[in-house]
Amino acid sequence: MFLHNLKYSLKTLFKNKTLIFWTFAFPLILGTLFQMAFQDIEKNETLDTISIAIVEEKENNIKNIFEELEIEDKKMFSIFYGNEEEAKEKLEQSEISGYLILSDTPKIIVKENGINQTILKYVVGEIIETEEIMNNMITYEISQNGVLTNEFYQTLYENIKKIELENKIEIKDISSRNLSYTLIEFYTLIAMTALYGGILGLYLINQNLANQSSNGKRIAVSPASKRTIIISSALAGYIVQLIGIALLFLYTIFALHINYGEHFFFILLLTLIGCLAGLSMGIMIASIFKINENTKTGIVIAFTMLSCFLSGMMGITMKYIVDKNIPILNIINPANMITDGLYSLYYYETLDRYYFNIISLIIFSCFMLALSMQSLRRQKYDSI
Amino acid sequence: MKNIIEVKKLTKMYKNLKAVDNLSFEVKEGEILGLLGPNGSGKSTTMNCMLSLLEFKEGTITIFGKEMKPNAYDIKKEIGVVFQDVALFEELTVYDNMDYFCGLYIKDKRTRKQYIEDAIKLVGLEDFKKFYPKQLSGGLLRRLNIACGIAHKPKIVFLDEPTVAVDPQSRNNILDGIEKLRENGATIIYTTHYMEEVEILCDRVIILDKGIIIAEGTPDELKELANMEEKVSVYIEKLEEKHIEEIKKLKNVSEVTYHNSNLIVIYNKGKNNLISLTKYLEKERISYDKIYSERPTLNDVFLELTGKELRD
Repeated sequence: MFLHNLKYSLKTLFKNKTLIFWTFAFPLILGTLFQMAFQDIEKNETLDTISIAIVEEKENNIKNIFEELEIEDKKMFSIFYGNEEEAKEKLEQSEISGYLILSDTPKIIVKENGINQTILKYVVGEIIETEEIMNNMITYEISQNGVLTNEFYQTLYENIKKIELENKIEIKDISSRNLSYTLIEFYTLIAMTALYGGILGLYLINQNLANQSSNGKRIAVSPASKRTIIISSALAGYIVQLIGIALLFLYTIFALHINYGEHFFFILLLTLIGCLAGLSMGIMIASIFKINENTKTGIVIAFTMLSCFLSGMMGITMKYIVDKNIPILNIINPANMITDGLYSLYYYETLDRYYFNIISLIIFSCFMLALSMQSLRRQKYDSI
Repeated sequence: MKNIIEVKKLTKMYKNLKAVDNLSFEVKEGEILGLLGPNGSGKSTTMNCMLSLLEFKEGTITIFGKEMKPNAYDIKKEIGVVFQDVALFEELTVYDNMDYFCGLYIKDKRTRKQYIEDAIKLVGLEDFKKFYPKQLSGGLLRRLNIACGIAHKPKIVFLDEPTVAVDPQSRNNILDGIEKLRENGATIIYTTHYMEEVEILCDRVIILDKGIIIAEGTPDELKELANMEEKVSVYIEKLEEKHIEEIKKLKNVSEVTYHNSNLIVIYNKGKNNLISLTKYLEKERISYDKIYSERPTLNDVFLELTGKELRD
């Protein structure tokens, strides 16, 4: 009986276009849209090597500093040396972000304002400022002692190092090490897909309850035990959900090239438990509410979307707002349990918060299933 | 014949409304029992109580001598049910739907396959095995609905208005199928508000109204309950009032109406009623056409007992 019902529940689910759309296709479509929307933002925020030109009207050490500057072991500037006309032409053709005329006072020529131009101005400003500090120190030392001692050179060297270090920190590209917008969105997408399993749970339980559907009536008058039918149906829902999640991971990794990083096993584990939470939520809604199936489906979709919204799907700020103002909401929000668990893999050195979220999801699932069981047990008769 | 189902003092309340009131009856092995009554009379409620789909306030229901309960699986495996609403999976083919529902009763695949083939043949769906429900007409859907309910060859079949909204061809097919079920030894409980079906099919009829039994017996026994014996309809182009009054005075006549050139004469029990009427018309040189004589129907019985039509 168990296998018979499992087989036909799977067959029914796979042939139900609406369910397949919400479980399989919708997350993939949304994932594609996320990728399209966020990849440019990510690209714009990554510091690439900046192309500039240097026009040397007068010998100046600045060019050496420019050549040595690096971001994350990558040259910060790609420099073209030439005369002002050539530099101007390159700027006109947007081959370079700006050019530097090295004379007594270095001049920066840019065509537009942007992050590259800002960095260029900032770096030149820092160099000039440092140079001035050093000149002032030397002038002061000579005026005081008449000579530059070894001790002074040592102090000067340390100061230069310090300034260099500060500058390095200032312009360090941290975008690739931290959680990107895209990844955050994909975490909420995983949460949404996991919770959409609720629709599967809801559909299957509705089909098995006599007071919810004609099929349920027919099953209720058969010698099949209600428990066997419900457990095998729930298992079918979980299997379909796992296939949906597998598709999502395969699509996002191989087609959208999302890098989930080094914690993939933990991501998978959290997702599997998240799916259970989604399924149990659907079973609970199907068992407890005595309303029509469409309304119940609406409740599952609305609840899922709201949960994902609060956990940062439509903007990460929302997660922080809720965390700051109504933290309890995020603690009981299953979508947030999933996304927060995934964030924690990147933000924290330890797995404490990750396990906290895993345990929260298990408690949430057990609570949902306990409510469902209580409701189903009470329905000794089906009260059609 | 022994009693296969016994319902004793069954009472079912919906809040303050008594849907079924102290109902007692038996169903004998191999018979077709018709539960007849208008909408809201308690037919479906009675049936759902018998199937343990509804909890009832008072009374007992025994099937095969055992108390019927939600977990009485040994009883349930011998029961087949065809509900008024079509209960099918839209995502499964005709064959798969039958295999799924039959599989809830029959584990052995080979036996199940044979049973399904028999049921498909019984309802005439041989050409539609691979069709999906949405590809079937209303009549074919009803046939599939029946096939899913009886494929496991149950000893007792509950049929809840299986011919509602069905075309004449499918209706005849369904009625033939029910006859075959009886021939195969099934006991059938048939609820409907189509009296013609009851008259054709049922060995015994229980007429319900407002949750109580108002009459019980074979169709012929029930017709005896009607005060009228015969209804004669005659088409007469023109009939004067004095003739109507004279017809009323004929032997056994209880009621005469004349409307739209149609004369209807209701007779109490007695013989040669039609002859006496035709003799009178010929004597008065009244030309007539299309003369019909009808015996009372169960609807007339119901009308007699409750003052309203079955389909009200």
